[in-house]
Amino acid sequence: MRGAAIATGAVVVLGWPWAAPRYFVFLASLIVVNSIVAIGLNLLSGYTNQLSFGHAGFLAIGAYTAAILAIRASWLPLPATLLAAGLGTAAVGLALGVPCLRLEGLYLAMATLAFGFVVVEAILNLDWLTRGNDGLHVPPGHLGPWALATDTARYYLVVVVGALLVAAARNITRTRTGRALLAVRESEIAAQASGVHLAAYKTLAFVVSAFYTGVAGGLFALVVGFLSPDSFDVFLSVDFVAMIIVGGLGSIFGSVVGAAVITTLNDSLAGFQNYRPLIFGAILIASMLFMPGGIASALRRLPLLASQTPGSASRTPGSAPRTPGSAPRTPGSAPRTPRQGDDR
Amino acid sequence: MTSAALVHVVVSGLATGSIYALMAISLVIIYNATRTLNFAQGEMLMISTFVGWTALRVLSVPLVVALLVAVIAAAVLAWVLERTIIRHAISATHFDVLIITLGLSLMLRSVAGFAWTHDEFPFPSFFTNRPLVVGPVRVAPLSLGIIGASLALMLALGALFRWTRLGRAMRAVAQNQRAARLMGISVERVYSSSWILAAVVGAAAGVLIAPVVFLSSKMGLIAINGFTAAILGGFGSMPGSVVGGMLLGVLENLAPLYLPASIKHSVPFLVMITILIVRPGGVVGRVARRKV
Repeated sequence: MRGAAIATGAVVVLGWPWAAPRYFVFLASLIVVNSIVAIGLNLLSGYTNQLSFGHAGFLAIGAYTAAILAIRASWLPLPATLLAAGLGTAAVGLALGVPCLRLEGLYLAMATLAFGFVVVEAILNLDWLTRGNDGLHVPPGHLGPWALATDTARYYLVVVVGALLVAAARNITRTRTGRALLAVRESEIAAQASGVHLAAYKTLAFVVSAFYTGVAGGLFALVVGFLSPDSFDVFLSVDFVAMIIVGGLGSIFGSVVGAAVITTLNDSLAGFQNYRPLIFGAILIASMLFMPGGIASALRRLPLLASQTPGSASRTPGSAPRTPGSAPRTPGSAPRTPRQGDDR
Repeated sequence: MTSAALVHVVVSGLATGSIYALMAISLVIIYNATRTLNFAQGEMLMISTFVGWTALRVLSVPLVVALLVAVIAAAVLAWVLERTIIRHAISATHFDVLIITLGLSLMLRSVAGFAWTHDEFPFPSFFTNRPLVVGPVRVAPLSLGIIGASLALMLALGALFRWTRLGRAMRAVAQNQRAARLMGISVERVYSSSWILAAVVGAAAGVLIAPVVFLSSKMGLIAINGFTAAILGGFGSMPGSVVGGMLLGVLENLAPLYLPASIKHSVPFLVMITILIVRPGGVVGRVARRKV
């Protein structure tokens, strides 16, 4: 049954450009790009519990790296450009991640928030390179002899890269590394006692997360074709956080679902800009209060899919319902002993 | 740059700094009680200032009454939010509550947009802006008034924490929740009180700063500088927040004189990142070591 579901999914994804109108092909590309960011953010926040409000900054670095390479070094093949965007962003992630090892929880959230602001300011100030507020037109990429001039071509590129990255993420999370990351999330002290090198794994999560977001940034530049600093503001970072909250912390599948939900919602609310924050805020609060594991864990509880639990449990080790959000509690009848603050 | 002009810059820096300090204090009040960060603090400030402004415009009450209205509105808003939303997540991690308050801040800003549009409005002040000339030095009474009022409010808060029953309970909860509960303190009441107290401080700060920055739905962003100020002073410490706020205000006003204008907006963030990396315990504080 699981195989059938995956096959159906693959057919739908690959057949989409032939069935859907052009705009929806573009939207689907955007969903895949956002899924890659959400997976990257989830590896950081869902797996090691390091919340980041600066992923729009990483996305901007990846996007601008790819765009500038495409303009100034147009002989570079497209995969190399995307890889460079990913690696460049990963380097920045390393530079930010190492000092951030000293920070946890709220402090990390604030530092990454500040990082997001600084990136936007830097783009504005490096206007000889980024053209500042005027924005940057990204030339269509070339893959060998083919120019990726249509939405469909770009869609397939994005889907291929997305599939590779999803497979890689599943491999990371299912192996020793993923278990180590989850151990860090559950208890840093216990993880250390079990021989997990805390600093190494936390930095690794930062670097991998930045790499994913950087590659997504490169794809974003190609798909959208125009970059300007104000599209990478802090609200985009909030959108990414919303994706993993709604989809499910610590779940690859949840990241994709969350990205699809939030991106579609964003698009359908484009004409109602005033209502957008209201609805997003309500969604964030509601999913924290009533659906702490996100859509991924809500689906897992459905009887129809219950037969699959062995399979899906291995997808998110640390066994399902315990995301950082769902300490044993039921809304309304909360045992009133906050965990933090007691042991000081 | 003459020293007289420098005095002017520093004084206006101290004025914005004292507002940052008040914001930092209101964040720290909630943090100390509940160990969570209230992302919606700035939006609560904005809403309560708008309510005060409405009283001013519609009922044409005197400014003091508008201040009172703002403070009461803030207290009611905080009480309602705490009881209806935050209390349900009370045993959750700081991660959860952070996300919830983030959602709240988005919603409150949106609601303010519906109620009062997203335009900017001028706000009257208790103090005039005509410069006061003392020898070669010119300072604005507005700045002095903000500094004075903020200091008075801080002293009142200090007294409250030191000498009242509620203040003692709040300090006890900040130190050790379980022990506080065993001593018969109602921790839930401390949570509610800290939300209300923080909102009241925020409302006062809002009414003080609105004449300077204009009243608008974007006004809540000032909370980010409050975060920076609190971090600068070592998050969790009230005197640290005051020092951090003042320092940040002065730095922010001095930086454009010595640095290229284009990086002016990044100063608070660069300061925040630097402090977090170099001295996570703040300029005056120490890092609390966590033991197993």
